[in-house]
Amino acid sequence: MNASGLIQLFVFPGLLFAIPAGWFYIWGEHKAVARMQQRIGPPMLQPFYDFVKLLGKRTPSRRGIEADLLRLWPALSVLSLAGALALLPVFPSGHGFSGDGILLVALLELPSICFILAGFTSGSIYGEIGAIREAVLSVANNLVFLLAIVTIAVTEKTFRLGDLAGPSWNPGHWLGVFGILLCIPAKLRLNPFSTSSAEQEIYSGPLTEYAGAALGMWELAHGLEWVALTGLVATLVLPVGGPWWIHAILFVAVSFGEVLLLSAVSAATARFTLQRSIQFYWRWAAVLAVLAMSSAIYMRFRS
Amino acid sequence: MSFRIPIGPYHPALEEPYKLELVCDGETVRDAVMHVGFNFRGIEYLAERRNYLQGITLVERVCGICSNVHSLSFCQSVEQLNGATPPERALYIRVILAELERLHSHFLWSGVAAKLIGFKTVFMTCFTLREKVMDALSAISGNRVNYGMNRIGGVNRDIADPQAVLNILGEMEHGITSAIIPIFLEDRTVASRCKGVGILTNAQAKAMGAVGPLARASGVPQDIRKAAPYAAYERFEFNVPVETDGDVRARLVVHALEMIESCRILRQALSTLPEGPFHTTPPTAARFKVPAGTAISRVEAPRGEVVYQITSNGTETPERVRVRTPTFMNMATVRFTVLGQELGDSPLIQASCDPCYSCTDR
Repeated sequence: MNASGLIQLFVFPGLLFAIPAGWFYIWGEHKAVARMQQRIGPPMLQPFYDFVKLLGKRTPSRRGIEADLLRLWPALSVLSLAGALALLPVFPSGHGFSGDGILLVALLELPSICFILAGFTSGSIYGEIGAIREAVLSVANNLVFLLAIVTIAVTEKTFRLGDLAGPSWNPGHWLGVFGILLCIPAKLRLNPFSTSSAEQEIYSGPLTEYAGAALGMWELAHGLEWVALTGLVATLVLPVGGPWWIHAILFVAVSFGEVLLLSAVSAATARFTLQRSIQFYWRWAAVLAVLAMSSAIYMRFRS
Repeated sequence: MSFRIPIGPYHPALEEPYKLELVCDGETVRDAVMHVGFNFRGIEYLAERRNYLQGITLVERVCGICSNVHSLSFCQSVEQLNGATPPERALYIRVILAELERLHSHFLWSGVAAKLIGFKTVFMTCFTLREKVMDALSAISGNRVNYGMNRIGGVNRDIADPQAVLNILGEMEHGITSAIIPIFLEDRTVASRCKGVGILTNAQAKAMGAVGPLARASGVPQDIRKAAPYAAYERFEFNVPVETDGDVRARLVVHALEMIESCRILRQALSTLPEGPFHTTPPTAARFKVPAGTAISRVEAPRGEVVYQITSNGTETPERVRVRTPTFMNMATVRFTVLGQELGDSPLIQASCDPCYSCTDR
């Protein structure tokens, strides 16, 4: 990995940027929802305070492989998301490689798999039910997510992220972006797709047995998930070219705009049951995604 | 995969300590067992060892939400025994308190129902409106809960400025018609969570003796305010909302429409509040004896019919005080309404009968 690759992994849009950005986005979501509910909401540094507080908590000790696995899943999530962030073509400068879009999809999916495994490892009935819900929902929304990514790839005739970045005149590109946006609430476990962590039904789902530093790592992973997913959409819609600092500012601005949009949807909806969530993705969103891909293939053969 | 899932006695979905044990096949509920009795305080036993005036204060603690209806039922029973007739103004004030309490309870229930379907914005809206009811109750009685308003032969405090309460009522009506009713009746995500969920058929409601909004949402047009009017209810015009679907959405609709009817009753009562005294001669606590006999009083609480039976042996202490709360009748329906439903819907279904297990445990 060359110097610019290391900068992407560790500085921007990597960990040095993404960790505080994740806290900022989580605060943005909490604050926006609070304002919509006529509440004051938390101070800006609250997610940071929460993280530090969790790191300092003494937790009941577990023994054996189960304890190691419970620590491994959030750490793996953080690492995979750091990798995903490093792949984001915020500055399209030819650093990517052919097929890095497929690697990005895999890295974005890994936290969800870790979340499911954490639920089953925890030994809690609520964790297991939450894990099952997450697994089923993941299968449902990933169909749409993959179709949306493939639609954009077909439109641009490549899976190289650097070439996918930026807006396009092809309607398939925008339908693909819309498809990704539809999947983000489920991937971030936001309303109306928050069924895997529905506290009134199963407490915190897979995270019920988590506390202290391990829970703090999950919070960190959640923040990075926000940055990676909103950042993916931002890179697909922002124009390519121009000074790097304008790119960086626009990247944050568009991502934060998505945070506000998702927060508004979350505040304005009730939670779907698992069955209705699946119906939404397989009945409506999948039809949209198939249409998008069909139109992209049609446009490709036409041109 | 089969699970046995305990919900309670301490659980985010529950307002009070009770336990619902669900046997699930995957996400489908196959059986449900209800455990109550976590909040037993022996109030009936205590009431039989206190004088009647102490009894009023005691029964008001049966419930934190519908405290007024308990003291009202108790006082009405004693008034039947000793022949005390409250003045007209007192009867109006009793209606005003009862309807404000109904609004308070319905706002709370609506908020809890919204929270259980993950709609926290509506929860906040309901609780903001509930604060206005609390303000009105506080302005009238001096307390936000446990109002201490009822006495044998009238009420303890007058409503000096009905217009101030009418102003608060206007704000509440606006909130109900502009926010609560459109969301509960028209929002698609709410409808998707509530329509066809937790159905209690008309036959089941009658067989289990369901009362209150739960029964009315299953097509049982039963309301004590109409069937056996007490206080000053027969002087006011109002409708009893009845739905026939029997599902959670029907219960939401009945609650929402009842809020409108409560506002209608309140507007009439506050506008036509008669002049005159608001209680008869105050009894003395030390030697307050009630003639021997048994009296039964029925009141339409926010959750349904509350029944008080008081037996006097002619002394200053009741021989028997029996309280039947609406949840005692309604809780049996939960087992039937959750069967075959999704696990995710079960907290909402059990809450949709508007349970108050603290009342039931007494």
